[in-house]
Amino acid sequence: MYPKEMEKSIRKVEATREERLHKLPERMSEKERQEVLQKWHPDYKPEAKRKLKIGVSKGSIVPHEVADLIEAYPLIKPEEIDLSQVDYDVDVLIIGGGGAGTAAALFAYYNGIKPENILIATKLRHGDANTMMAQGGIQAADKENDSPIIHYLDVIGGGHFANKPELVAKLVMDAPSIIKWHEELGIMYDKKEDGEMITIHGGGTSRKRMHSAKDYTGMEIMRVLRDEARNIGIPVLEFSPAIELLQDDDGKVAGALLYNLETEQYYVAKAKATILATGGFGRLHIQGFPTTNHYGATFDGAVMAYRLGARLRDMDSVQYHPTGVAYPEQIVGLLVTEKVRSLGAQPVNADGEQFVHPLEARDVEAAALIRECYGRKKGVVTPTGMQGIWLDSPMIDIIHGEGTIEKRLGAMFRMFNRFGIDMREEPILVFPTLHYQNGGIEIDAEARVLGKNNVIQGLFAAGEVEGGVHGKNRLMGNSLLDTQVFGKIAGINSAKYAKKAKIGKLSLKHVNRYIEELRKAKIKEERKAPIIFPDYRGEQVLSRAIDIL
Amino acid sequence: MQRKMKMVRIYIMGKEYRVPEGLTIMKAMEYAGYRYIRGAGCRAGFCGACATVYRKEGDYKLYADLACQTTVEDGMYLVQLPFTPANKAIYDLEKIKADDKTLVNFYPEIARCVSCNTCTKACPQELDVMDYIQASLRGDIAKAAELSFDCIQCGLCALRCPAEIVHYHVAQLARRLYGKYLAPKAKHLEKRVKEIEEGKFDAELKKMMKKSIEELRKMYNARDIEPEEEMPTESD
Amino acid sequence: MQLANIQGEKMEIAYYPGCTLKTNAKEFEESTIEAFKKLGIELKELNKWYCCGTVYSLATDNLMYRLAAIRNLIKVKEEGYDKVVTLCSICYNTLKQANLMAQQDEEAMYKINSFMDEEPDYHGEVEVLHPLEILKGMEEKIKENVVKPLNKKYAVYYGCLLLRPKEVAIDEYENPSVMEKLVEMLGGSVVNFPFKNECCGAYNVVSDREAVVERCYRIVGNARKNGADAIVTSCPLCHFNLSEMQKEIKKTDFVGLPIYYFSQLMVEAFGGRKCKEK
Repeated sequence: MYPKEMEKSIRKVEATREERLHKLPERMSEKERQEVLQKWHPDYKPEAKRKLKIGVSKGSIVPHEVADLIEAYPLIKPEEIDLSQVDYDVDVLIIGGGGAGTAAALFAYYNGIKPENILIATKLRHGDANTMMAQGGIQAADKENDSPIIHYLDVIGGGHFANKPELVAKLVMDAPSIIKWHEELGIMYDKKEDGEMITIHGGGTSRKRMHSAKDYTGMEIMRVLRDEARNIGIPVLEFSPAIELLQDDDGKVAGALLYNLETEQYYVAKAKATILATGGFGRLHIQGFPTTNHYGATFDGAVMAYRLGARLRDMDSVQYHPTGVAYPEQIVGLLVTEKVRSLGAQPVNADGEQFVHPLEARDVEAAALIRECYGRKKGVVTPTGMQGIWLDSPMIDIIHGEGTIEKRLGAMFRMFNRFGIDMREEPILVFPTLHYQNGGIEIDAEARVLGKNNVIQGLFAAGEVEGGVHGKNRLMGNSLLDTQVFGKIAGINSAKYAKKAKIGKLSLKHVNRYIEELRKAKIKEERKAPIIFPDYRGEQVLSRAIDIL
Repeated sequence: MQRKMKMVRIYIMGKEYRVPEGLTIMKAMEYAGYRYIRGAGCRAGFCGACATVYRKEGDYKLYADLACQTTVEDGMYLVQLPFTPANKAIYDLEKIKADDKTLVNFYPEIARCVSCNTCTKACPQELDVMDYIQASLRGDIAKAAELSFDCIQCGLCALRCPAEIVHYHVAQLARRLYGKYLAPKAKHLEKRVKEIEEGKFDAELKKMMKKSIEELRKMYNARDIEPEEEMPTESD
Repeated sequence: MQLANIQGEKMEIAYYPGCTLKTNAKEFEESTIEAFKKLGIELKELNKWYCCGTVYSLATDNLMYRLAAIRNLIKVKEEGYDKVVTLCSICYNTLKQANLMAQQDEEAMYKINSFMDEEPDYHGEVEVLHPLEILKGMEEKIKENVVKPLNKKYAVYYGCLLLRPKEVAIDEYENPSVMEKLVEMLGGSVVNFPFKNECCGAYNVVSDREAVVERCYRIVGNARKNGADAIVTSCPLCHFNLSEMQKEIKKTDFVGLPIYYFSQLMVEAFGGRKCKEK
């Protein structure tokens, strides 16, 4: 089902396959890695970024798309909102119904908060989140030849040593107990007959510690957590995103202003503790890249928290997943899980040549793919002018036996098959795609959000919205883990905090202060945020040609 | 790059629009001017938010699919389902057993299945939905879990079922019972959790956290990497 | 039926279990498979099979309730068999009646076949059998295999679903004798038992338990009065009602009896496990 020109290139891929089965390119040296990143990774283009003009992290360099939302006016006029009418009054308010938010809700419940005193508010449905789409797996150092120490080194090195050590320590030390908790909840991890977890490598791992549930790992985790939250009876308000956080008169965070997208009404949700679990920014399409992210990944949580004084970190770095779909057009940008490479599919160029080790860290791998297409001109060109690299998927069944693709990559197989491409028989075409917000609002090891010089009382964060865990580059399998570990920590600590906290009079003063700051910095009132959803109406929906050079 | 687009006619809830050929239903609706609140989630075939039913001109069949994973065709009449009303059984997994009768006790309506197979035909994931309901009915939890594993819980099966079964909730319970009670436990996991609780790694971790970037960089570049090749005889 | 093709030689035959054989009547399934193996017949469980439709399919003319039975017969054909054996009396009855409809009612089958457009058309090409029908023609083979003859007295109990309606009966519908002959071949003796075709109360056990307990009292009591040491049956529902409802009989003059499947007696006589009460 490929066009003729592409078929010709596939013949070349097939011709080199036998030889490639027995050899892999060397991994790059530190120097080579730096070189390819500097020259080819989209993050290293200074013209794609600018300095923030206002707020706690004023002067930090972030992508234009992020700065545009930070330097934007609120959706509401604070003086028009009546905060005396409280619609929801709870102990713990969780903003975001994905993996982090749901884990936080469950752990708040385990730590003594009654279900009816918890509220999850989410902009789409409960479970509509990037967690659901995480295919490849979740890392945990639970095998004999592995340890949390080795996991720690992989995370720090992969993150270019920019990570916050105390967060990495939490991530790796809590990982095995998270998997155990999942096992007890009935999550169906891939196991051998004796119960041993089947684990594989991910990009940048030094041990095989990627646990998976076929290639629906995130979906399996998400649907079980959601089922458990429903059994417990934790209330969820769907299609009701938060649009501003609330404070009380002595500056503690005290809930959020929610907006019912369907009835277009505001709800005042008062809470003793508030957890931000709003996810990342994929749908901002940084530098025009297509994205793997779900529809609601629009940076809302960070925008709201920043207005309240939360610090941002590592926002200069963006994760481009090396392998997004480049053909067919209908699914351009969607994720081709790293597991495809973990299981043996090699990236090869239009002439069927290897050019990079399949499992370099994500940024290095992505940069190498871009270099191959735009630097060495060895990419495959699709009928719409998109460039791509072959991922030689038929190798998987050759290496692991017939049926492996269908069994272990069912989601991938199904997706391509729907559009007439049988990845067992023919390679698939990929190109880097916008995948993950490496940085975010800074938290401490208790998942408390940090302000300029202190902890912001009453505000916690977990998952992609927070920064520091992954430094400047996240490894595969550590984002699901992040949602679970920091969701758990946020749940536990918010419960502890809520038991003692007393909330005074509700206020939106911080929003007024922010508006003043915007005006002082002479920022025009032409942009509003949070944006809640991207706008794809009309021509905007047609996939964009990426302007790499 | 600009290319000449061939247009097709689609009918969104009966109203005609012209959209470029080759778009997914989801993108075609956006092209037509819709801005989703409901009906879009992951946009990649994992979340089940965009369940859509449609007919084609001159064809009696009612098709069911995901808007984000289906290409528009000329003459397609379509509507998206914003929501599926369905009752989920409430249970405490710790207190129930994985026996022959568990599924039918929580969801007695599965005994109403007449094997009409409409659920299977409606499934956008092409799962053997009727087969997993039948397996549930006869208490074969492992089979129900296996056959339903790729379910994205879009609700199309439940809306089409003449016996008013809510298939995907039955399957959710089957999988959790399987994962908790029938799948073998990972002993290495339990061991590692215990080691961590006992503080086995604490001292070394503290040391690591104090190391300078230069020291860490050296260690990172010198770390040994477990060989790639996987055992070909896996039993998953 | 024609048994020429299974005389003596080892053969395979499609086996449709039905849900009960996988839950409440596992011992019926195990013993039948074991006994038939001794006789050189392998019961091969179908890869795909569905609930037969049970009472619903018998209680209504709605064709929807026949889909399950017909679909099962299609699976038999699809998997390359021309005969299917089923043990449960209800499954037997529904499959057999549906098959008769498939052979006789063209209009109904036109509707069913067009409804099930994902399956190949079906017109009754498969033969539905109960194991007792197969055993009828295997006298010699059975006797050959008896190593531990039974030496007790048995009341043989058929219930209704193997005999009614008469079109689907596995034997003389008024006065069946196939199970009696089997018991005798296995070395047991058979007592006179006028209740052998009486209904056990069937599904009424759900709605009117007392009535079924009362029936059980009369049926089991009569067997004992006629000198039986045990009751032999061929139906999981009869087995359930007779064995479970005994426990609820409060009358002081009542002494219960063990209830066995005929296949358990075969296994015992063939030298396998001795029959145990469930």
